[in-house]
Amino acid sequence: MKRNYIQQAWLVIVLACLFGAALAAVHAGLGPRIAQNRLNDTLSQIPTLVEGAARGEPLEIGGRIVYRAVDGEGAAAGWVVPAGGQGFADRIELLIGLDREAAQITGLYILQQNETPGLGNRVTEPEWRARFAGQSALAPLTVVKGRAGGAGEVEAVTGATVSSQSVVGIVNEAVARFRRERPEGAP
Amino acid sequence: MAENAVTPIAPAAPPPAAASARAAPAKPAPALSVAPGPHIASGALTTRRMMLDVILAALPLLAVSVYLFRQYAVFQIAISVIGALAAERFFGWMRRRPNTLGDLSAAVTGLILGLSLPASAPWYVGVIGAFAGIGFGKAVFGGLGQNIFNPAMVGRAFVMIAFPAALGASAYVAPTLGVDAVTQATPLTAFKMMGSVAALKPLFLGMTNGSIGETSALAALIGGAYLCWRGTAAWRIPAGGILALAILAGASDLTGGSPWTFAHHLSSGAFLFGAFFIATDPVSSPLTPKGQWIFGAGFGALVLLIRAFSGYPEGVMFSVLLMNSVAPLINRWTIPTPVGGPAPERK
Amino acid sequence: MSERKNDGPTPMERFLGGLIPENPVYRQILGICPSLAVTNTMEGALTMGVAALFVLLCSNILISLIRPLLKPHLRILVFTLTIATFVTIADRVLAAYLYDMSKQLGPYIPLIIVNCVIIARCEICASKQRVFTAAADALGQGLGFTLGLMTIATVREILGFGTWFGKWLGWRVIPATAPAHWSNWVIMILPPGAFLTLGLLLGVFNALTAKKEKAA
Repeated sequence: MKRNYIQQAWLVIVLACLFGAALAAVHAGLGPRIAQNRLNDTLSQIPTLVEGAARGEPLEIGGRIVYRAVDGEGAAAGWVVPAGGQGFADRIELLIGLDREAAQITGLYILQQNETPGLGNRVTEPEWRARFAGQSALAPLTVVKGRAGGAGEVEAVTGATVSSQSVVGIVNEAVARFRRERPEGAP
Repeated sequence: MAENAVTPIAPAAPPPAAASARAAPAKPAPALSVAPGPHIASGALTTRRMMLDVILAALPLLAVSVYLFRQYAVFQIAISVIGALAAERFFGWMRRRPNTLGDLSAAVTGLILGLSLPASAPWYVGVIGAFAGIGFGKAVFGGLGQNIFNPAMVGRAFVMIAFPAALGASAYVAPTLGVDAVTQATPLTAFKMMGSVAALKPLFLGMTNGSIGETSALAALIGGAYLCWRGTAAWRIPAGGILALAILAGASDLTGGSPWTFAHHLSSGAFLFGAFFIATDPVSSPLTPKGQWIFGAGFGALVLLIRAFSGYPEGVMFSVLLMNSVAPLINRWTIPTPVGGPAPERK
Repeated sequence: MSERKNDGPTPMERFLGGLIPENPVYRQILGICPSLAVTNTMEGALTMGVAALFVLLCSNILISLIRPLLKPHLRILVFTLTIATFVTIADRVLAAYLYDMSKQLGPYIPLIIVNCVIIARCEICASKQRVFTAAADALGQGLGFTLGLMTIATVREILGFGTWFGKWLGWRVIPATAPAHWSNWVIMILPPGAFLTLGLLLGVFNALTAKKEKAA
C-alpha cells in the first residue's frame, strides 16, 4: 500500500523539491536587492526631512531602528524616526524628521497608506505635511478643524478628520517615545 | 437510454401580450376585449399626472430656494433638469425606445436631483449626476417602473463619491452665494463639528444653509400635504418616517440626550423634503399599506442613526437608497390577504 | 501516435482565440479580481497583465511537458504547485526591479495564484496539447487578459486622474483646470468605478459582438 502512495505522488514530491530549490535560488539572488530597495525608499527621504542632512545611518534604540541624519562631513544634523499605526482604512507607515535635540519636528513623510483617495490620502500631499515642520516636539500636537492658529495645532485635511488625527496620533506617540529612549546628550 | 426517456419541455409560447400590443393598431378593434385583471383603469392616475403633481408640489420649495440662493438655485435646477431630459432621450435612443420625455418622469428626477445639490456645485455635477442617475439608476434596469433605486438619489450618490470636494460639508460654505443666512455652515454640520445648536424658527422656515431645496421644513410640509391629498404620494411613508424619527429622537431627549431635540431633527436638513418627495417615489417604495409603514419607519430610523453615529452630518440620501434595496422584500413580506381569500395560517 | 491527428485546435487558433473571441475578461469573465482591483492606473494594469502572462506562459509550457506523467486525481495539485512557484518568482522579480509598482500592486501579484484564467488554461489546453500549442495558447490568453485590463484602466485613469500612463510617461489627457470647469472623478479610482466600468465595457463588447454576428 505504501509503495502505491509513492507511485501516485512521486511527481508531486519531485516537483515540490525542484520548485523549492528554484525559489531558494531566486530569493538568494534577489533578496539583497529587495532589502536595499526598501532601505533606499527610507534613506532617500532623509535629506528632505532634516535640513542639512546628506544621508542617514541606521541605529537601534530600544529595539527599534531609527536613523541618525548626518551632513556631508559626517556631523550630526538630526534624527529620522520611522513610526506606524492604524489609519482610517489601513495601517499608515511614516517617517518623522527631528532636529539634533529632538526638540522640534523638521519634516514628515508618509511611506505607506491606504486612505480614501481624494480625501484621506491627501495626508501625503506636501502642503499638508509641511504643517508639521517647525512644530515643537516637546508637547503633543492637536488636530483642529478650520484655521489652525496657535502653536501645536495642525489643521485637519478637509473631509478627512480621522486620517489627520491618525497621523497626528502616530507622530505624537513616536516622538514622545523617542524622546524618552534616545541616547542622552549624544546626538 | 434513460435520459432520452425524459419528455423535453414544450417550447414556450410567444408572449401573447407583447405580440398583440404590437399588432393592435393594424387590426380593427375587437368587439369583446378579454384581458387578465386588474380591470379598473383610472384615466386620472397616469404617470404624467403624478409627475405634474410632484412639480406643482415642489413650487414652494422652488420659491424658497430662489429667494435664498438667487440665480445659483435657478442655475442648478436648470442644469439638472436639462441633463436629466438629455439623459432620458439618450438612453431611450440607445435602447431604441419611443420618446418618453412626455411622461415628465425624467424632468422630476432632474428636479429632485437639482434640489438636493449645494448651490455652489459646478455645472458638471448636475449633468453627470443626471446621466448617472437615469443611466445607472433607471435605464440599465429597463426604464421607468423597473428600477430598484430612486434615480435621483443614485445620481446624487454617484456625484457625491465622484466629487467629494464639490459636495462635502465644506462645499456648502461659500460666502458669495445668495442672502446672508446661507453664508455659514449648514445647521447639521455646525452641530456635528462645533456643537452649536441652531434656533428652531429659522430651521422651520428655511432661513438656513443647506442643499438648495431642503432648507425649509414649512415648504416641504405644504408641498407634501398637497402630494398626499392628491394621492400621488403614499401618506403612510412620510407618516411612518416622521413618527419613527420623532419617537427615537424624543426617547433620546428624555434620557437627557443632546441639545439637538427631536424638533430640530424633524425640521433640519433634508428630512421632510426626503420623506415627502424622495422616499415616496412609487416605483422604488413598497405597494402594500403595511409595507409603506415599515418602509417609512425604517427610513426615519436610518436618518437618525446616520446623523447621530456616522461621519456624515445628514443621512437622507443613504437612508432612501438602503430602504429602496429592501422594498421588494417588504412587499413580499406584507402581501395582504384578499377578500374571501384563505384565512391566515396560525402557527 | 493518434495524438497528432486529434490534437484539438491548432496553435494559431489557440493564439487568436485568446485575444478577442475567447477574451478572458470580456468573454469568459475570468480573472475579475485583478480586473477590478489594479485597473485604476495604466501602469498597474500593464504590470499585472505582463506578470500574469509570464506565469501563464511558464506554467503552460511546464504542464504541457509533463502531461504524460499527470495522474487525473493529482493534476490540480500539480497545477497549483507550478503556478504558485512562478507567481512567487514574478513577485520577487517585481520587488527587486520595479519596487514602486510592487508597492502599489501590494497583495495582488501574489494573488495571481488564484487567478482562474491560469488554472483554466492548464486544464483546458496545456494538460492535453503539445508544448507549442500550449505556449501559443498562453500568449493569446495572456495578451487578451492584458488587453482587457488595459481597456478598463484607460477609462478609469482618464476619468479618475485625467492622465494616461501618468506615472511613467506623464501624458495628460484632460487638461488640469479650476474645479469650476472640470474635476477628476474620484469614484473612478475607487472600487465602485471598477464595477461600473467593467459592466459598461462588457455591455459595449456584447453589443459589438451581436452586431458582428448579425452582419455575418
